[in-house]
Amino acid sequence: MSLRLRALAPGLAFIAFWIAALEVAARAGWVNRIFSPFPSEIAARLGRVIGSPAFPDALGSTIGLLAAGYLLACAAGILLGLAMGYHRPTYALLEPTLELLRPIPKPALLPPLILLLGLGAAMKVSIVFLGALFPVLINTIQGVRTVDPVLVDVARTFRRGVLKTVFRVVLPASLPMILSGMRVSLGLGFILVTLSEMLTGTHGLGAQLVDAQRAFRVQDMYAWTVVLAVLGLALALSFDALERRLIFWSSKR
Amino acid sequence: MAELLEIERVGKTFGAPAEAIVAIRSVDLSVAKGEFVSIVGPSGCGKSTLLQIVAGLVPASAGEVRLEGQAVTAPPTGVVYLFQQYSRSLLPWLSVEKNVRFGFSHARSLSPREAEERCVHYLDMVGLADFRRRYPWELSGGMQQRVAIARALAAEPRMLLLDEPFSSVDALTRLELHGLILELWHKTGLTILLVTHDVEEAVYLSDRIALLTRRPAQVAEVFANALPRPRKPVESREDPRFLELRHELLTRLLQPA
Repeated sequence: MSLRLRALAPGLAFIAFWIAALEVAARAGWVNRIFSPFPSEIAARLGRVIGSPAFPDALGSTIGLLAAGYLLACAAGILLGLAMGYHRPTYALLEPTLELLRPIPKPALLPPLILLLGLGAAMKVSIVFLGALFPVLINTIQGVRTVDPVLVDVARTFRRGVLKTVFRVVLPASLPMILSGMRVSLGLGFILVTLSEMLTGTHGLGAQLVDAQRAFRVQDMYAWTVVLAVLGLALALSFDALERRLIFWSSKR
Repeated sequence: MAELLEIERVGKTFGAPAEAIVAIRSVDLSVAKGEFVSIVGPSGCGKSTLLQIVAGLVPASAGEVRLEGQAVTAPPTGVVYLFQQYSRSLLPWLSVEKNVRFGFSHARSLSPREAEERCVHYLDMVGLADFRRRYPWELSGGMQQRVAIARALAAEPRMLLLDEPFSSVDALTRLELHGLILELWHKTGLTILLVTHDVEEAVYLSDRIALLTRRPAQVAEVFANALPRPRKPVESREDPRFLELRHELLTRLLQPA
């Protein structure tokens, strides 16, 4: 651990340095004290923000919507990807649709989704789902395509059926690729849930951020930004931990 | 002895009819129950393809493979193909024991305890019972190939198809694996068909040796092996009958096309 800490030390020192620089700049009046981030003030506000009754609601809402949309997208992306990667006719049927929908910048789907589904949870879960689906799907197809054919032949010589071959051999063998798609999707899902909350302004961390800005509580706005940053970091670190557990074998081969 | 396997006029062509490559012209060969037969031939002559056709992994373009009179169209029960690339044929996310378990996981009637005993039994046969909790990538190449052998045996097949299974291990390990495979063959009464480009290996291990021609392959000649059993790693290789057959096979293999 001390070794790890030593490796992190220069980076952490640099963060301390630029936070201090922001503090000095704000105190000395080199930058606009109202609009610019003022670290000591943000820290004080952060305490109040986290202690406020709005905080657990906002955090819970954002995480809940993200989890729902993201997990649905992973399940759908993996199942569809296995089918498309392993079964040529399915690929031929769905690939043109995929290529048509994939390049749409997902925020462009927010206006129609709002019209169709309103401003509530269904719309937000849908936009997260659509944003997170494609990286998982594309990577699963690619992962399945690049599974070592020897492994598939092993399943055949031991007379495993199609489903067993797909779920016991092809799926685990493609997992490193699938997980790298899931990592991209998690980032996209987080962006989209925040964006949809900012746009609808009713619940969640994104809504709090916009509320604070509109009410001119500038340092509160920065405090909510810090909350989002920490949440993003926590998601990434949890993902790393999960990945290490699931594909502990993949760098060893 | 009853013929277990019959290969009859099997041919294999790759590619579209216009630019087809004939890999195998026509191969006839039969293997009796309990026999150890080797197929040797020049590199790229299509001998691995032939073995994959026998395994039901690749369809033949012509002719027929029959196992106990039944035409082979898909991987048949009781036939296991042992791959050359042991490190690619083991599932890296499963422990050694679970890899062996994969060999007979269709045997639903087994209780977990019986299944475990079967794994340990076959791992013990290849001398790896102590390594059952390890992962394949923690083992040496020779040990990995022994895990693959244990997995094949755990399926309790009637016939084992070996595709140059000793070609990617070092020379000493290869000799050890030869001893192991002969011992297992003797113990289990398996029928073995081995494909190799190593003439000495073929002569040391088998009862009969089918020599294939260059591509497109056909059987040039089948040699009966007079080398007495049990075979001994050092002495058998110095036996005049060993040297004579080796001489004959090598001479034929090295003949210009």
